[in-house]
Amino acid sequence: MSRSPSPQPGGWSSPGLNTPYDTGGRTNPFANSSSTHNVTWASAQARSAEVKGHSGFNPRGQGFFSKHFRRISTSLPLSYGDKEKLGRGRNQNNRVVQLLQRIGWHLWRLRRSVGVVLFIIFSIIIFYVTPLHRMYRRSTMFGGGSKYVVILAANQGGGVMEWKGPREWAIERDSVKNKKKYTKNWGYDLEIVDMSTKKRYAHEWRESWEKVDTIRNAMRKYPHAEWFWWLDTNTFIMEPSLSLQNHIFKRLDKITYRDINRYNPLNISHPLADEYLDPETRSPVGDGKVESINMIIPQDCGGFNLGSFMVRRSVWMDRLLDIWWDPVGYEQKHMEWEHKEQDAFEYLYKNQPWIRPHVAFIQQRQIMSFPPGACGEKGDDPNIHYQEKNRDFLVNMAGCEWGRDCWAEMYNYRQLSNRLNRNLWEKFKDGISDFFKSKKKEEKKD
Amino acid sequence: MPPRKTSRPPPYAARQQTGFRIPPALKNLLRRDKLRLIVVGILGFLTVFWLLGKTGGGGSNSQAPNLPKVAIGSGVPVVIVTVVDPKADPAWTAKIKHNREEYARIHGYKTFFPNNDQYALSGAPSTWSRVPAMRHAMTLHPGTTWFWFLDHTALITNPAIAVHTTLLTPLKLEHHMISNAPVVPPDSVIKTFGNLKGDRIDFVIAQDKDGLAPNSFVVRNGEWAKYFLDVWFDSIYRSYNFQKAEFHALEHIVQWHGTILAKFAMIPQNLINSYANGPASRQNGEFKDGDLVANFPGCDKDGRSCANEQQPYFDVLEKV
Repeated sequence: MSRSPSPQPGGWSSPGLNTPYDTGGRTNPFANSSSTHNVTWASAQARSAEVKGHSGFNPRGQGFFSKHFRRISTSLPLSYGDKEKLGRGRNQNNRVVQLLQRIGWHLWRLRRSVGVVLFIIFSIIIFYVTPLHRMYRRSTMFGGGSKYVVILAANQGGGVMEWKGPREWAIERDSVKNKKKYTKNWGYDLEIVDMSTKKRYAHEWRESWEKVDTIRNAMRKYPHAEWFWWLDTNTFIMEPSLSLQNHIFKRLDKITYRDINRYNPLNISHPLADEYLDPETRSPVGDGKVESINMIIPQDCGGFNLGSFMVRRSVWMDRLLDIWWDPVGYEQKHMEWEHKEQDAFEYLYKNQPWIRPHVAFIQQRQIMSFPPGACGEKGDDPNIHYQEKNRDFLVNMAGCEWGRDCWAEMYNYRQLSNRLNRNLWEKFKDGISDFFKSKKKEEKKD
Repeated sequence: MPPRKTSRPPPYAARQQTGFRIPPALKNLLRRDKLRLIVVGILGFLTVFWLLGKTGGGGSNSQAPNLPKVAIGSGVPVVIVTVVDPKADPAWTAKIKHNREEYARIHGYKTFFPNNDQYALSGAPSTWSRVPAMRHAMTLHPGTTWFWFLDHTALITNPAIAVHTTLLTPLKLEHHMISNAPVVPPDSVIKTFGNLKGDRIDFVIAQDKDGLAPNSFVVRNGEWAKYFLDVWFDSIYRSYNFQKAEFHALEHIVQWHGTILAKFAMIPQNLINSYANGPASRQNGEFKDGDLVANFPGCDKDGRSCANEQQPYFDVLEKV
């Protein structure tokens, strides 16, 4: 008995009669609960071995409860011993209650760590339930979402030239809703611009060449944004859970290319060979650095496509926006350039060497997959058409207004996107309903 | 039974003095708050990684070509560019070249004399070759700050004036440049900017009686210069029927494109382009003794002879 743990104030306690609080939470009172009232030599030995197992000296009675337990317990109406006995007696045979008690006791013992874990879980939930996560994603310090602006062209070709029917309204509504949700979720800015044909300039002949002015206005409106992503109306973001940063801007060096020879439907001769040009301009990839990319455009089967492209605020971009529309070029070519800005930009890329080192191309499906019907009827070109299994980011229903059904395409892709992006709970529910549906069908067949 | 502790404890063992000593405070901390220490350590580690990822995230591509990097300003201050006509009288051409070389030698400049049939102009008049010639000079002398194009019809008549100190410093430019003046005389609605700073100027040119006179102009090396020269050389302008070819193309782009007008300084004509005969600007275009340049615009055309017209000036130069 000389090796019993420590003297209680007021005498030595025998090993089996230690109060659970006094063991400093290190021994499990349930471990030898069967022998609480039955001290044998073996149990005492086990206990002393336990004591010996301690790595160092641990003063007891440091916590509040250990210090004041006796005082508190004696002041309670029930005596501890009675309660203990009652409790033990009642639950002796009930395993479930015992287990629960055990769990409860463990939780109490680990209350600090459990509290921390609960607090963390709670904070995470609060973060995603409140707009806090949007603020985080938007802030320049953390998410950086305010550096990106999506420019959505609405009403293209509408206005005086064409009446807008219910289908056109529905398409526009869906498209806008899709982008609104996406930009809100990631903290980007959305600029919806009215591209309807109007007499906007004193000289009518500049009509509908407004991409340039629109981008300029957006740059003025969002002075802290860096990248501007132009989107046509007939586009649908299929994977709203992909952020622009993760999908594109952090991987620019991997997913973009400068050397147009990698995919060159226009057969532009590249690099430039004129001896009077400097080495950077003659290099097929410019200076090859990510920082010198000022414009990201996809190419479809017919050449450059400005249905979905990105421009960066920079001195270079300022110059390009300035030179993009030129009255002499317009006067000479506006009949020939039926795609307006797109053809003009193709021309500039071919003829003005200063542009090439700062334009990067991106594989079309990274930012603009085509549905079947655009660039091939079957829609099976893996370089051009939407692939469900690869979960392409965006669909551009280019040219659907000529002989295809824009609204049907938009609707189908919206449904597909919703189905692909169901959360676990929705998948579970759908799974159950599908199960019953298939059963019903089988019954009908029988 | 485990052995009992002896009743007579041994004296305290001496502290181990080998190796380095952990300070007692740290030792206490290590002993007491092991868990906290580990957590803080891991968090610190992750923070460092996060910061590294933030700053060094835009790591450069390994595919970047190995381009020569020459800092602008590390070369000679000025390169004089004159496009020569290989069909012209070789004796006169040699004299013209010598005139530039002499001036360049005095001030430590360099010269560049490409031929006017050297560049593919796709059918445009050969006078257009001044534009690619400037681009070519920039490629050959990437360290030079200023490139001065001087037409082959002009002579440097006062070699004592060094352009890069008397004209091409921000202060001098700010002093000389004419602001709020119509770009094309007499009454173009586009006027030169009124509040330009001298160090923002990338393009210096004078106006004669008819308009901008790009038979003598200065361009500062840099990205803007590439942009400007490429735009000027655009094939639409070359094939467009401008009455005075590259002269009018220049006036066109200066008036229509703000990014060009914003880098543009118009200076009095006699500073870089006095006319000995020709449509000189009325206030300050006529050649006077002591002017840097005497130009004879058009002396190579219409049966005129530059050599004859310039002979008196050559005589004066040779006497000095």
